Amino acid sequence: MAIMEREIEVITPITATPSSTYGVLKRPVAATGWRAWVFTVDHKKLGLMYGVTAMFFFIVGGVEALLIRLQLAAPNGKVLNADLYNQMFTMHATTMVFLFVMPMAAGFANYFIPLQIGARDVAFPRMNALGFWLLLFGGIFINLSWFLGGAADGGWFMYAPNSGPVFSPTHGIDFWAFGLQIAGIASLTGAINLIVTVLNMRAPGMTLMKMPIFTWMMTVVQFLLLFAVPVITVALFLLSFQRNFGARFFDVAAGADPLLWQHLFWIFGHPEVYILVLPSFGIVSEVLPVFSRKPLFGYPFVVFSGAAIGFVGWGVWAHHMFASGLGPVSVAVFSLTTMAIAVPTGVKIINWTLTMWGGKLVFSTAMKFSIGLIVLFTVGGLSGVTHSVAPSDTQQTDTYYIVAHFHYVLFGGGVLGIFSGLYYWWPKMFGKMLNERLGNWNFWLMVIGMNLTFGPMHILGLQGQPRRMYQFTNARSGEGLFNFAFWNLVASIGSFVLAVGILLFLINVVITARNPTKSPLDPWNARSLEWMTSNPPKEHNFDVIPTVHHLDEFFHRKYEEDSATHTMRQIATAEEIMAEQERNADAHIHMPSPSYWPVVLAFGLPVITFGMIFSHLIAVFGAIIVFFAAFGWALEPSTAPASDFETNNSAPGKALESVGKS
Amino acid sequence: MNHSAKHLYLKHLVTSVLRMVGKKSRTLFGVSLLSFIAASCAKNAPQDTWQPKGPNAKIIDDLQQPVFAVAGVIGLIVAVAVIYSVLKYKDRGQPIPEQTHGKPALEITLTIIPALILAVVAVFTFGAIFKLAKTDDTEMIINVTGQQWWWEYDYPVQNDFGITQPIISSGQLVLPVGTKVLLRETSRDVIHSYWIPALNGKRDAVPGRIQTLRLEADEPGIFTGQCTEFCGLSHANMRMEAVALSKADFAKWVANQQAAYVAPAKDSLAQQGEAVFLNQCVRCHQVNGLMRADGTPAIAAPDENVWSGSAPNLTHLMSRNTFAGASFDLLSKQCRDEVWNAPSDVIGTKYLAGVSQDCLNQKDLRSWLRNAPEMLPMYANPTQLAATGGKYRGMPYLALSEDDISKLVAYLLTLK
Repeated sequence: MAIMEREIEVITPITATPSSTYGVLKRPVAATGWRAWVFTVDHKKLGLMYGVTAMFFFIVGGVEALLIRLQLAAPNGKVLNADLYNQMFTMHATTMVFLFVMPMAAGFANYFIPLQIGARDVAFPRMNALGFWLLLFGGIFINLSWFLGGAADGGWFMYAPNSGPVFSPTHGIDFWAFGLQIAGIASLTGAINLIVTVLNMRAPGMTLMKMPIFTWMMTVVQFLLLFAVPVITVALFLLSFQRNFGARFFDVAAGADPLLWQHLFWIFGHPEVYILVLPSFGIVSEVLPVFSRKPLFGYPFVVFSGAAIGFVGWGVWAHHMFASGLGPVSVAVFSLTTMAIAVPTGVKIINWTLTMWGGKLVFSTAMKFSIGLIVLFTVGGLSGVTHSVAPSDTQQTDTYYIVAHFHYVLFGGGVLGIFSGLYYWWPKMFGKMLNERLGNWNFWLMVIGMNLTFGPMHILGLQGQPRRMYQFTNARSGEGLFNFAFWNLVASIGSFVLAVGILLFLINVVITARNPTKSPLDPWNARSLEWMTSNPPKEHNFDVIPTVHHLDEFFHRKYEEDSATHTMRQIATAEEIMAEQERNADAHIHMPSPSYWPVVLAFGLPVITFGMIFSHLIAVFGAIIVFFAAFGWALEPSTAPASDFETNNSAPGKALESVGKS
Repeated sequence: MNHSAKHLYLKHLVTSVLRMVGKKSRTLFGVSLLSFIAASCAKNAPQDTWQPKGPNAKIIDDLQQPVFAVAGVIGLIVAVAVIYSVLKYKDRGQPIPEQTHGKPALEITLTIIPALILAVVAVFTFGAIFKLAKTDDTEMIINVTGQQWWWEYDYPVQNDFGITQPIISSGQLVLPVGTKVLLRETSRDVIHSYWIPALNGKRDAVPGRIQTLRLEADEPGIFTGQCTEFCGLSHANMRMEAVALSKADFAKWVANQQAAYVAPAKDSLAQQGEAVFLNQCVRCHQVNGLMRADGTPAIAAPDENVWSGSAPNLTHLMSRNTFAGASFDLLSKQCRDEVWNAPSDVIGTKYLAGVSQDCLNQKDLRSWLRNAPEMLPMYANPTQLAATGGKYRGMPYLALSEDDISKLVAYLLTLK
């Protein structure tokens, strides 16, 4: 936990202005109100803020999707014009990928990795805060373009040369490129932070092969981010310089090859797909064992298949380019690697199914979402295999078949996993359980809605409806009842069913927040360390850092095997385990102090990029903010001086109690 | 669960998997799945990827059908296994089972099986990739150039087919049946993608590159396609058709395309239209053989007015069925159906008849001449042309009078 530490005994804050020991460089001490959130470095608060931000952008991206489906509900749609439609599908993808799934995964990782490995925070808490604020400001910055002349209209893949200043004369793509650049810094700092945390801060006894599977998958994701984000960073720099400073990286007249962009984008873009789904794979690999009352089947296989996906994921990017004209040898190679990556992915599906096999299945909402993921992700995985057959892909690529495929992967895989995690970990995060009855409706409406929406797209694509068309025409729709108009209408209806399902989740959140009933300590009979603490966890997570003896340590503290029947019998309750921890609480707990500087520094970056687009003077102003924030960050005292806090002379145990309540 | 029970469930799993992979039920599953999909598909969807009409598309279809079937069966196996465990292992008060951590032998088996299936698929895939990449058996070359938002076809001189001077056309690609045609694709602005699903998969037209695509049609017919690489505002409207003609009909088409320019009759409406054309349209659109009043050839200069540098050559406009990037029909609905739905032995004759005055789709053509940007989204707004130095991207609004439009239509009808 580096140098920013303070003793937990003196946590109780005072409302008075802190002392002026270090003048402007003093550290914030507020533990309540908005300051407690804006200046926090607590991984749990940051995790929640990531989650709320992601949910907000999920709704934004969802509304964009509904507008797209409204436009395509009938032939020659008139809801959006071509220009607006192009902006809409570009921003829908950008929002869902970069501002919903990635931040949501970052939120889960932030909240649960330290808890799952028995740590009290991440390795670099201020950098963690910086990451969140960069993501938030980057996301807002991209969306500002809606109000400043129009959003990006080149598709999230932003192929050159269509992304050049001539072909897209508004500032939309500038906002897009700079905004993603800012959000990319968040991903990079987050990746480094979590890798260091996982490698260095695991509880005693937790070897890598005893590490919870969610933490494992998230670690693979962080490595993918660490190597993938720099590639898109380079690509975005080239694009920004082309658009704003007259560079000619993608200018064909100057001898450029537009395929350069495609290679850069997909070398980032394909690992990105695994960045989007592996977190959910981690979540269901936690949820399925808990509700099957069995360990994850073949844990080492799941770990190594995840790592294998992480490696092989770098060798498949050109399968996005089978129609680009790479030549038969390259196409054959990437065809083969794409088939190869199906194998470790298949291993996961087999292991999830076998985890349930022979278990004692409890169908909570979290479990339902996880089971739904197995089936629906399999559909997406198998349609993915059909793309690996390159000649076949030249018929399917850029048709709705691809849209169907990746929505089964990213919605059926990614989003269902996220919802599984939300239902599963909600009591951990908020101390209350989401309503299971509403959850049941939420699940079924989402599953039915997504199949109605994306299922027909398989047919549309195979029958020749291309993607990214603001209108489709009857002339190419075929005859009979089941023509394109019919299937497009079904998809549009499905999207609204899906939206109602998601709305039910939001209603569930409100109902749960108003319901005073507290969750039990261990509502799901869980298995891993994050459940070995209060709901929600205290600021310092664990009163005593547990020593780990087993994979599924918490479960093995509750149960032991009956030597005669090999079934498990309970030997301790969660409450007993918790009470024992409190009795043995550590006397001195070091926690990082909050800081002003991450949010200030993060704010400076969009000011710079805003200036890049409109006036370089503003950029200078932003640079000054960044410079001073970095300066403040570096010179900030490692802890707030004791005089900033109310002295608390009571015993350590009592002080801890007050922390738990704050 | 004790060891014998565990053994039992593994055995059960393996046998049920084997049973499903058994030939009879595989056929059954495959057939029922395919028939379900087929039953819910649009009839006669013109861009159906499962209805090959030429050998190249056939190579792809022969490869993809078994892959779809195998994928469908595997999907069913997973679904059945999941549903089975959901029903069978529901919590009915049974004790918490033994905490088994997996069974490596089973894992490895279940890893190797899909790997082997994929290895088999890979062998056939490789064969198809290289077959589809062949260029040494080419019989005819057509240069295809994409531009926002239409396709230009340029037939270089090929004496075997009677092409003694280059033919430049757009919208509809005309090709002889049973002939191995090689498209040489490129683009003048952004990336487009050429796709006639009945004849082959798609290939991107990338500016600065020339990429090839094999096309061959078995029977005469009109096969539709669409640009499939997102190319800006009117991407959705950038369509094309491949018109396959019998070799004899193709020779007639070639002869007509090379026929000399016939000036409209003196004092006809069409002749006035020619004047309007010379005054307005010839800035961008070439009509081969057209002379100015002073007797000099009228040469279009689209590069001075259009950002991407070209505009459709209109020399034999009325020999085509569609205009403006195949976005609109030149034929009225009734005449179009007569040509497009004709059986393959007469479709050539019908197509070669071209567009007569009675069959002309007056409404769309007149609207187009009146205000093109209103019919098709294009970057025609002059305030947004700073980046292109004032050059248009797409056909602009020309402020033609209704009179001029009537004259132009009369003139265009003479361009057979």
